[in-house]
Amino acid sequence: MAFISARARFKSPDARRSWLPGVKPLVFAILLAGLCYQVLLPFAMIVWTSLKAVRPGDPGFLTLEFTFANYSRALASQSFWQSAWNTLEFAGAATSIAFVIGATTAWVVERTDMPLRRFVGLMMVARIIIPGILITASWILLASPNIGFFNQLARDVAGLRNPFNIYSFGGMVWVQSIEMAPLAFLLLSASFKSMDPRLEEAAAMAGANTTRALWRIALPLSMPAIAAAFLLIFVTTVETFEAPLLIGTRAKISVFTTEIYQATTQTPVNWGRSAAYSVTLLILSIVLLLAYSTLVRNSRRYQTISGKDFRPRRIELGRWRYAACALSLAVVATTTGAPLAVMIYASLLRTIQGNGVPFLARVSLTNYQQLIESGRVWTSLLNSTLLGVGTATFVVLLVALIAYFIHRTRLPGRKWLEFLAFAPIAIPGVVLGATFVWLYLLIPAPILGTLFIIGLAFVTKYMPFALRFVSNSLLQINPELEEAAEVAGVPFLWTFFRLILPLMKPGLVAAWFWVLVHAYRELTVALLLSRGGNRTAAVVILDLWQEGSFLKLSAFGVILFAILLTIVLLSNALQKRYGLREQY
Amino acid sequence: MIAEMADPRTRPHSLWLRGILGLLIAAFQGPVYAQALSSSVEAIYRELDALPAAERAARVESGARKEARITILQTLHGELGDGQIDLFRKRYPFIAVDSSSQLSSPEAAERVYAEEVSDRHLTDAINVAIIDMPELLAHDFLARYRSPAIANVLPAFRKYADPEGRWTLSFWSDRGISYNTELVPAELAPHVWQDLCRPFFKGNVSFESMQIRFLAGLYSAFGDKIYDYFRCLGDNDPIIQGSPSERVALMLAGDHMVVGDSYLYAGIAEKRRNPSAPDGFALPGPLLASFGGVGINRNAPHPFAAALFADWMLTEEAQSYLARRLRGPVTLKHPYLPDDAQLVVTPLSLPDGVSARLIEAWKRDVEKKR
Repeated sequence: MAFISARARFKSPDARRSWLPGVKPLVFAILLAGLCYQVLLPFAMIVWTSLKAVRPGDPGFLTLEFTFANYSRALASQSFWQSAWNTLEFAGAATSIAFVIGATTAWVVERTDMPLRRFVGLMMVARIIIPGILITASWILLASPNIGFFNQLARDVAGLRNPFNIYSFGGMVWVQSIEMAPLAFLLLSASFKSMDPRLEEAAAMAGANTTRALWRIALPLSMPAIAAAFLLIFVTTVETFEAPLLIGTRAKISVFTTEIYQATTQTPVNWGRSAAYSVTLLILSIVLLLAYSTLVRNSRRYQTISGKDFRPRRIELGRWRYAACALSLAVVATTTGAPLAVMIYASLLRTIQGNGVPFLARVSLTNYQQLIESGRVWTSLLNSTLLGVGTATFVVLLVALIAYFIHRTRLPGRKWLEFLAFAPIAIPGVVLGATFVWLYLLIPAPILGTLFIIGLAFVTKYMPFALRFVSNSLLQINPELEEAAEVAGVPFLWTFFRLILPLMKPGLVAAWFWVLVHAYRELTVALLLSRGGNRTAAVVILDLWQEGSFLKLSAFGVILFAILLTIVLLSNALQKRYGLREQY
Repeated sequence: MIAEMADPRTRPHSLWLRGILGLLIAAFQGPVYAQALSSSVEAIYRELDALPAAERAARVESGARKEARITILQTLHGELGDGQIDLFRKRYPFIAVDSSSQLSSPEAAERVYAEEVSDRHLTDAINVAIIDMPELLAHDFLARYRSPAIANVLPAFRKYADPEGRWTLSFWSDRGISYNTELVPAELAPHVWQDLCRPFFKGNVSFESMQIRFLAGLYSAFGDKIYDYFRCLGDNDPIIQGSPSERVALMLAGDHMVVGDSYLYAGIAEKRRNPSAPDGFALPGPLLASFGGVGINRNAPHPFAAALFADWMLTEEAQSYLARRLRGPVTLKHPYLPDDAQLVVTPLSLPDGVSARLIEAWKRDVEKKR
């Protein structure tokens, strides 16, 4: 065992023990202080700014004079209530559609004998790596009035004029549904997979048919998990930015995230308005996440997984299996195939103007060539890689320590640690980005405009998610090993780095890749914190869009997809090696 | 507060809280109050003013060589801005340039304002639209630098440079009307701003979401009649979407007919790349013009390099680069506009209350968010 050799190294355990008790509390105190800085300070900053009449940095910003003027102005304006309603309406509609698509696909993949179910599952998961900004851009190219591929097809084939209009509430909802459907699939497939089939078998023996068993057994059993997943997707949609920015602006539909972004970036900058909207969005997120936590807690009462080994029974669909397969393939084509296909297609065009020239005559690799020659594309890819790898590594080590203190110690205040590590899940990206700008204008650390400030914000943003992976992994390790090491006089830090971390490897690897991929995709935080040299790949995609370089953007999207796909394949290979089966 | 002080149980807590907050305030805000009233950067520039031209130029270059670094925020976007900075780097290879070429003009000005008001002196020079400078000027964040290169500016434009030297001119932008010649027959092409209200263009004219620079330009052209114009534009159901470049690309692809606040170069550049691009443009009398200038931070960490950049922006090399890229140079003839093009220049500031009124009217009558 590792700690036996360690004991040989630490010859005088008694002497070591004399200072050992100090190490854990010290590390714990540093962690707590670090989390307060990373989490509480941004929270406080949002609220503080919303209560000030002047902006961060102005004389008077740090005085103890507060005002509710920002709130009273916001609450008195019709646009606030309109944005609030739009946000809820948009999130409700997009979540419902994403949910229907994701749940249906998850059910047929996990619980039926549908052909090609593994392929469908794989494609749904693979879609998650495509950045939201690319999904939105590709759907604009697909369903834009007059120039969208689908509208051109409808005109050429059926003589219809613009049956699709992406620049509408429906279009915005559709794109967001497509963006969220894979997440719904992931959340629900886990629930469907872990359902004990004996209850359904009992129902079948009692004479219930498949549909009745589904409605009376499977659905009620999954209800808390379904409701929790619904809420999580709803919260994510409330915080979303890409579709509201690129589609909602033209559809004249404003939601909270775009209002905050515009108040922060348009001249004259309206900090008070931005902060008031931010706090409102924050409160909304907190309320929804509290409801989510309650549902997740309650869902444990409905757990059907026991120590007994079981494999969920697959429902035989009979002749409907082919219809289900066709429907699932249509879902895959819509969520993954169509956006990717239009990206590849557009990336090969010389110009976006058709002018009746056949496709083959318009094909070229010019966009790729220009991108390869462009310094900023490589810089942004390098930035994203550095950020992704740096953030992922730091977050994983940080949450491993946090998880250890939460689950393996009885130090007072560990619940605070858990709360602080989970709380950032409630901070929307646009709010987090704006807050970090304000914060580091006040804190005299020279990190504005560097990758470091984006990295710090990413640490706050991704900590709650990584903690989930790592905590699960830690809980599977018997504490006897650490106890034995402690008895043997092995110092805490040695035990942690040489014994616990290696045993947590599956969870750490999963968390590392999860953070890496999401850091690559992330737009909102990076956009608000970007300056010159610290622009990330997602930000450059938005730049290319705003410059009207749609074809280069498509080429960049294809390159980015290839990179992210390589990362995911590598992740899968590593996770297989370590026997990890977590998907999300 | 009185009730709180009267309660002895809350008093120690309150004092403790105030103490902590006081320390925080002193730590963070101290430097702001302690900001020097006089700028050492301006003192350097005053010394430079006293030198003969050749000695002055040598002094600026040797100072920049010692500083070896400059941070620039500029509004010339993407490859245009990057290309220009590359030229500067080639000319002065001893200066490491940290440049942002992706911020909009208001964003760049706002960024410097935020840095300076927080006593964070990160930026040396900005190259932005002059109309975005008022807050920087009001807070006296821009150094007085009398660039000798201002003599290169065309006489007609020289009056738009700051007499005090807080900005030198560097470029100018036009805003006119671009349209798709395949969607708009020649006889129906727009010629003046009011044409955009014609029913033929209903739902087919695009604008950027509220841009004070554009609104101020229109105000200069229309005066108070602008509000009627907003109403008629709004009645024609305009498209509100992203940047002018984004919309010119969409317009040329056939997405809609007209870009109502177009930087004309975007379509012209596309037509040069692809001669079959259906770009047409109108020079509505008057064309809106806004000048861009280089402002040097009064607390610039690298004042010599900043001065060198401001001077270089007015050289033949920098200006002809702009002209080649179809932007408006201030020392050379415009690459595509006729000499007699009727211009109205966006003012540096608007009369009291006009700005807020314009924004409100634009949002209410034109954008009409739901």
